[in-house]
Amino acid sequence: MSAETLSAAEAGLLSCTTCHLLSRPADPANLGHCPRCGTRLVFRRHNSIQYTWALIIAATIFYIPANALPVLTTTALGSTESDTIIGGVIYLYTSGSWPLALIVLVASVMIPLGKLVALAYLLIQVQRGQVRNRHDSTRMYRLVELIGRWSMLDVFVDAFVVALVQLQPLMSVEPGPGVVFFMAVVVLTMLAAQTFDPRLLWDTPRERQAFDG
Amino acid sequence: MVEPPGSDPLPQATAVPPKRTRISVIWIIPILAAIVAIGIAVQRILSEGPTIIIVFTAAEGIEAGKTFIKYKDVNIGQVKAIRLTNDYKKVEVTAKIEKHAAGLMVQDAKFWVVRPQISLSGVSGLSTLLSGNYIGFDPGTSEQSANIFIGLDVPPVITGEAGKEFVLNSSDLGSLSIGSPLYYRRLPVGQVSGYDLQADGKAVQIKVFVRAPYDKYVVAGTRFWNVSGIDVSLGADGVNVRTESVLAILVGGISFDVPPFVPPGTAAPPDTVFTLYDDRELAMKAPDPFAKHFVLKFNESVRGLAVGAPVSFLGLTAGEVTKIGLAFDPAKGDIRPRVEVVFYPERVIEATGAKQAAQLEAFRQDDQKRRAFIRRLVEERGIRAQLKSGSLITGQLYVSIDYHANPPKVKLDFDQESPEFPTVPSDLADLEAKVGGIVEKLDKVPLEAIGKNLNKDLENLDQTLTSAKKLISNADEQLIPGLKADVEDLHKALGAVERAMNNANSSLLQSSAPAQQELRDALQEFTRAARSLRILLDELERQPSSVIRGKTEASGGVK
Repeated sequence: MSAETLSAAEAGLLSCTTCHLLSRPADPANLGHCPRCGTRLVFRRHNSIQYTWALIIAATIFYIPANALPVLTTTALGSTESDTIIGGVIYLYTSGSWPLALIVLVASVMIPLGKLVALAYLLIQVQRGQVRNRHDSTRMYRLVELIGRWSMLDVFVDAFVVALVQLQPLMSVEPGPGVVFFMAVVVLTMLAAQTFDPRLLWDTPRERQAFDG
Repeated sequence: MVEPPGSDPLPQATAVPPKRTRISVIWIIPILAAIVAIGIAVQRILSEGPTIIIVFTAAEGIEAGKTFIKYKDVNIGQVKAIRLTNDYKKVEVTAKIEKHAAGLMVQDAKFWVVRPQISLSGVSGLSTLLSGNYIGFDPGTSEQSANIFIGLDVPPVITGEAGKEFVLNSSDLGSLSIGSPLYYRRLPVGQVSGYDLQADGKAVQIKVFVRAPYDKYVVAGTRFWNVSGIDVSLGADGVNVRTESVLAILVGGISFDVPPFVPPGTAAPPDTVFTLYDDRELAMKAPDPFAKHFVLKFNESVRGLAVGAPVSFLGLTAGEVTKIGLAFDPAKGDIRPRVEVVFYPERVIEATGAKQAAQLEAFRQDDQKRRAFIRRLVEERGIRAQLKSGSLITGQLYVSIDYHANPPKVKLDFDQESPEFPTVPSDLADLEAKVGGIVEKLDKVPLEAIGKNLNKDLENLDQTLTSAKKLISNADEQLIPGLKADVEDLHKALGAVERAMNNANSSLLQSSAPAQQELRDALQEFTRAARSLRILLDELERQPSSVIRGKTEASGGVK
């Protein structure tokens, strides 16, 4: 594939965002729906860049309390302990189970942050109209979309532990406020990845001016 | 309808592309996120309590992030960091106090580490076995807030309880310690909360805490006394064992009560100073408002007489010895014991009936009458002081004031500050003389001679016994062979009888009646002989000695 390849939009064609069927627009004013799956067709998603930016910024804001506030409050034999995500990673590492520490670190800290950075990078490239390596950028986008759900691992473990460890007088585990923010970060980044239109990566600056609004 | 070109030179409208950037509604999301995040941050900052530093001698059982500060079992803070002080001698514990408890951090607030404690006076802090140690807290009364505190090594005895603290002065601490119980009518109502040496080092000040509502029973006239250990006293009425409780035996204790003669008063203010008496008797002793001092001079040794020894008046204790010394008389050139006593007339008055008491009271108040009364008692009735032995075992003496028949005449001189009271020699010398006489008589008893005689008698007895033994063995040797011969003779006799029977068989049965008559007689005779023989044998079997000693009818029959 080369950069010179004609894009569908340039050829006056529409690709379905759901089933990827290529079709002609019904009418220049009203583009119509996909004849196969019925999805409303657009050349490029409306306000894709703005939407994605907004969601990324919101996610970045929530990323701070998600890491600063405790995600788990453990009460064992009268002594209460609150752990943040990083605290848990450090605890796992110091107690010797570094593989677990690595998993938690990657899934709960690095992936959400990586997603935010990757999406921001893609958006900046699209906005500046100079997508350097369209091929790699698209691959990066796919990766972001794919791994998005896995960062819910932490929330999942939290929910499990809270539900299972309820030995009331001896030991109990309660969720901390951090987990809500963490969940918000994951959901917002997933939505951001959804609102981002990867077709923008292939547009030339001239086209982008025509589509974006 | 097409307009001719050039006829109407209207300019072409320029197509302006729609405004590229419009603010989308989506921006509400990051704005909301920012509001929430800022809100949380603000709330956190606002709910932040003060950070304090507590200095402990050691951080035993304290863990950063895990140890809480508790007051009335409520968490009011958490230890955040532990580090050594700059001089490496102590431990600095940094703790975050919750905002709602910030007002408690005043200058005299107390902190200490609560750990499980098992002592004689109780078990405490057991919950820390499960939950780990925590820092206990007791609020102070100061208004000045502070953020650096010195932690206590020992938990304070009283924490936040209502009550009052009083100070007791004592010559020594005894077996009391912090936590020793305080009793009121055997009810535990408080504890010893501290003690300290007086500044001059000559007495001990003991601080006691009386819990409300019992603190109201401590009034100005309250007496405190030590109830540590077991009080065993041996008196004329037997053995008295007095103890407050088993706990008091082990860890000591203090009791208090109001003596009956003290008028009821209002509760004493905190930190009132009281005296700690050694025992209940001392504490509850009524003060003697009227004391009359007398001097006694004896002509004998006062060894065994101690300061505080009772002065008995006709058998009632009515005073005590206050001083024992010597009196030098330069005119006569002699020196003799001088005993100062105090006499409480009130006690004598109390011991009489109500009506007489009033009369005596009148005597006491009128100096002239009183003197006349005492003078009459001494000069006419023969009242004298005398040393008497209170106990033969310990040799303790007391002063007895009693009637004596025909004592030497004396004159009382009331002009001196402490009038001299006449004395008579004690009976002790007589007693000694009597005992001496007995000992002398005992000495005269010829114990040695008696002993010797007794020894000789014993030797004789021994000899007698030996002879007796010999006699018995001789009897054995001589008599048994004789007995054997007797039996042989008997055997021979039986043989003869048998032969005679055989002869009888061959001749007598065929003969006439007279022969048979003779035979019958002979047989009867023989039967009698045999019976006698059996009796003899029975007798011999029963008592072999009858052979020697007699019972003549039995033995004669056979021989």
